[in-house]
Amino acid sequence: MAATATSAGDAGTGTGTTVSVQQQEKVASTERKKMKVMVALDDSDLSFYALTWALDNLFAASVGLGAAATKAFPGEVDTVYLVHVQQPFHHYAYPVGPGSTAVYGTSAVVESVRKAQEEISAALLSRALNVCKEKLIKAETLILDGDPKDVICQASEQMHVDLLVLGSRGLGKIKRAFLGSVSDYCAHHAKCPILIVKPSKESDRKDKHIP
Amino acid sequence: MAEKPVMVIAVDESEHSFYALEWTLDHFFAKSGPDHHPFSVVLVHARRIAASVIGVSGPGSGKFITVLETDIKNEATKTVEKATEICNRKSVNEVRVEVNEGDPRDVICEVVDKYHASILVVGSHGYGAIKRAVLGSVSDYCAHQANCSVMIVKKPRI
Repeated sequence: MAATATSAGDAGTGTGTTVSVQQQEKVASTERKKMKVMVALDDSDLSFYALTWALDNLFAASVGLGAAATKAFPGEVDTVYLVHVQQPFHHYAYPVGPGSTAVYGTSAVVESVRKAQEEISAALLSRALNVCKEKLIKAETLILDGDPKDVICQASEQMHVDLLVLGSRGLGKIKRAFLGSVSDYCAHHAKCPILIVKPSKESDRKDKHIP
Repeated sequence: MAEKPVMVIAVDESEHSFYALEWTLDHFFAKSGPDHHPFSVVLVHARRIAASVIGVSGPGSGKFITVLETDIKNEATKTVEKATEICNRKSVNEVRVEVNEGDPRDVICEVVDKYHASILVVGSHGYGAIKRAVLGSVSDYCAHQANCSVMIVKKPRI
């Protein structure tokens, strides 16, 4: 007891009881399996819509339990991994015109573009993190380089995620929307379950007066 | 009282589809009680039309077709019963079931529209590119055409 008395805080005397209570609660609540979700983000509004939609619908059950739940058993909350893939910047440009040759970008240009890219990624991810924070969901961010299709599939495999969430660009106003190439590729190649979030057809509903 | 958003889960006789159903129920529906369930579930099963299975016509085919019809009906009932049993086992009790005749792709998309579902869950047989082109992929079609978000649950290949 002397050792616990020296530790900071009032928890010294109560440590024995609180641990057992936590264990009991843990046993009672392990019914729903914890999910590791990876959400792929890019600059578009659609991927943010996908993130918000996913957080609202997937974690409704845990949100319903409220902030108390996250305090009581922090180990039980789902984690969200926010992934942004930066496309590699080509270090050269082909000017169009007669007798054109490849022009290599100077290192200054390359540097400034890379910096701009990083700034964009950082802003994007911090926006996404704020969305997660508002919904009381633990999130981690990841910036990766390469071709989005491959990188997303690889990352989801390596991190053993339970669910991959992607927005789908579709072709906008066209009624029968098609998937964008990244979501299509991932739907076929990802090893884990994949959720493709499509923008809601609010405009359609207004026309049809659906109650 | 706000109505819960609808989740449509497509089931067929395959293992992949039952795996998808179980996975979804495990991850989305806590046993803590039906009040906490985020979605209301609609199971949809497409029953093949006897006539499409065999292109038989002519005298004497009538009886054959009825036998085939009953067979298909029994299979459909068995599938649906197994699916509802899985739901009940995981304490998801208010499950609506739709068993419709026709091509699975159309049936599923129609049910999504009928219930204004917010999310559709389909399993995937995991066909490669060639098989997919030849056999046609229901999950692929639904991912493109359904008017809601689509979740494709794959059974991990061992």
